[in-house]
Amino acid sequence: MDFRKTEEQELLLESLRELITREFSEEYFKECDEKHQYPEKFMKALVDNGFGLLGIPEEYGGTPVDTLTLILVSEEIARLGAPGYLFGSVLQIDDMLTFGSEEQKKITMELTKQGKIAFCLGITEPQAGSDTNAISTTFTRKNGKVYINGHKTFITGAMSAPYMLCMTRDFSVSDLSRAFTMWWVPMDAPGVRIEPLHKIGWFMQNTCEVYLDNVEIEEKDIVGREGYGFIQLMKNFEVERLLMAAIALGQAECAFEDAARYANQRVQFGKPIGTFQLIQEKLTYMAIKIENMRNMVYKCAWEKDNGISLQVSSALAKLYCAQASFEVIDDAMQIMGGIGYTTDHRISRLWRDNRINRIGGGTDQIMIHIAGRGILKQYR
Amino acid sequence: MVINNIAENTKKLGAKQTRGETRMNIIACYKIVPDEKDIQVRSDRSISIDKAEWVIGQYDLNAVEAAMQIYEAVGGKVTALSVGDRQLENSKLKKGVLSRGPQELFLVIDEALSGADTNLTARALAAAARKIGFDLIICGEGSQDLYSQQVGIQLGQILNVPTLNAVSRIVAENGKLIVERSLEDEVEVLEVSLPAVISVTTDINQPRIASMKDILAAGKKPVTQWSLADVGLNDANRRTEILYTLAPEQAERKRIILEGESEEVLDKFYELLRKAI
Repeated sequence: MDFRKTEEQELLLESLRELITREFSEEYFKECDEKHQYPEKFMKALVDNGFGLLGIPEEYGGTPVDTLTLILVSEEIARLGAPGYLFGSVLQIDDMLTFGSEEQKKITMELTKQGKIAFCLGITEPQAGSDTNAISTTFTRKNGKVYINGHKTFITGAMSAPYMLCMTRDFSVSDLSRAFTMWWVPMDAPGVRIEPLHKIGWFMQNTCEVYLDNVEIEEKDIVGREGYGFIQLMKNFEVERLLMAAIALGQAECAFEDAARYANQRVQFGKPIGTFQLIQEKLTYMAIKIENMRNMVYKCAWEKDNGISLQVSSALAKLYCAQASFEVIDDAMQIMGGIGYTTDHRISRLWRDNRINRIGGGTDQIMIHIAGRGILKQYR
Repeated sequence: MVINNIAENTKKLGAKQTRGETRMNIIACYKIVPDEKDIQVRSDRSISIDKAEWVIGQYDLNAVEAAMQIYEAVGGKVTALSVGDRQLENSKLKKGVLSRGPQELFLVIDEALSGADTNLTARALAAAARKIGFDLIICGEGSQDLYSQQVGIQLGQILNVPTLNAVSRIVAENGKLIVERSLEDEVEVLEVSLPAVISVTTDINQPRIASMKDILAAGKKPVTQWSLADVGLNDANRRTEILYTLAPEQAERKRIILEGESEEVLDKFYELLRKAI
């Protein structure tokens, strides 16, 4: 087993470190977070320096890379204290490039190259969270036009994205695998109403309620094939899950490194607190969790790159990373003491931003459901 | 080297460069150094680099970037060049320097160059540069490890060409260079004829970040490895020898806390500070 990164991967990560440490201070991210601002300058820099388009085909100006490289980059962005969760959209872009029309692809790439978000993903509805089959947003055809009606919620980036990739249900189709269709809905169309939700984290990206009231679009606005909405999204489903796990891992590493450095510096009772065994115990178990997370995530990426199914392993990795990373960050906050609970230190931001990993992209419970079924199937 | 009217040359610095007018063959020199964060200080204050990873000297990346910017303005070619011992064979470091833009890499690798002094380094670089051919050689302001700031100067002297250090701006124009040197209380603007050797400051530019595309392309660029004999340098004697390098003496943190704003406290603070210095 070879655990070494390739020279190219090492150089790429060095480049990323150089870019972020040289041009984006903690102050910058802190300010974006406080002001609830999308870090456009940072996202543009990622694109300008070739990171934002990793994994995107060459014909669209991207650089195709293997899954492991993509995972390493996501992890490193988060490890450096940058908002890694914004990097997760790279696979949604790939979805659009695979299934979108020429016009949709052109718009997506033009905005992506400027570091902007071209579209938000409109799947979740008030009654359809984990239970995606309960989606009830509809499309109806009238006088050569298409009308969208429904209510989407927890839509990431809805305030800033000019389009929504909107999942709709055709109730006349009984086969659920053929009942969902994706549409490219302009967010400034009449009948679209957006209301921001107030979250405890992820301040650099808005999350909203979106009301769609008889929104008129054209037939050409269909994305991919009618009835194949969810099947199309399956292309990158497991890797997206893995990307979330990698970002959670990176956040945990960031908090762990801050806490370990602090333990060496902070003096109490005449000694650095790192000399106390209770602190050492925390750091040791944090290190074990980080090692476990890293091994699971990298192995899943390796499986993907080698054509091995990661249906169970990616659910296990997402579940474990979402939980273990939060435990690590929570312990890091404990080591930092009062400082860790203030907004002066990034630990508090990591703590807030990380918690969503147990809910978004498939809850812990859904991951258990996927993994549990898969495990039983293996021993049937 | 001709010193011209400063105002006129400053105007020239703002002038647009026309690509293709005077293509230039540029050599960018670099040194690989132990990564600072891996350097350990032994109890006798001597320095251990046994566990250090080797990296490209930070100041030399400014030289490579300066070369790339001239190349992008006027065309020609940028060649990276380094001399040293077998550490230079590290293929990641080769890709690393080539990912910053140079089209080709030349290395002079010889055990006799292990820990070479500035003069031997300059002589080896000069021998290789003569063999490669050049219009301009750019060096960093000093090496990241020893920072003698000698190699560029000696290299120019050995090659017997115009030689400048502390250059903070370069514009190529009609086969010549207009360069700016930031001195203590003035900015000197000079017109330099080619060939020349120039050492650039760290504020001349911000080295570009290598993208995955650049990194992948780097692995396909030509690399030529020579020995000292290959470049015709038979005399590897050193003019100077480093006897030892010691880290500054470390003092335990005193952790003295003075409270209050009275004159007395301030005097005490001053007194302690004075003693410490």
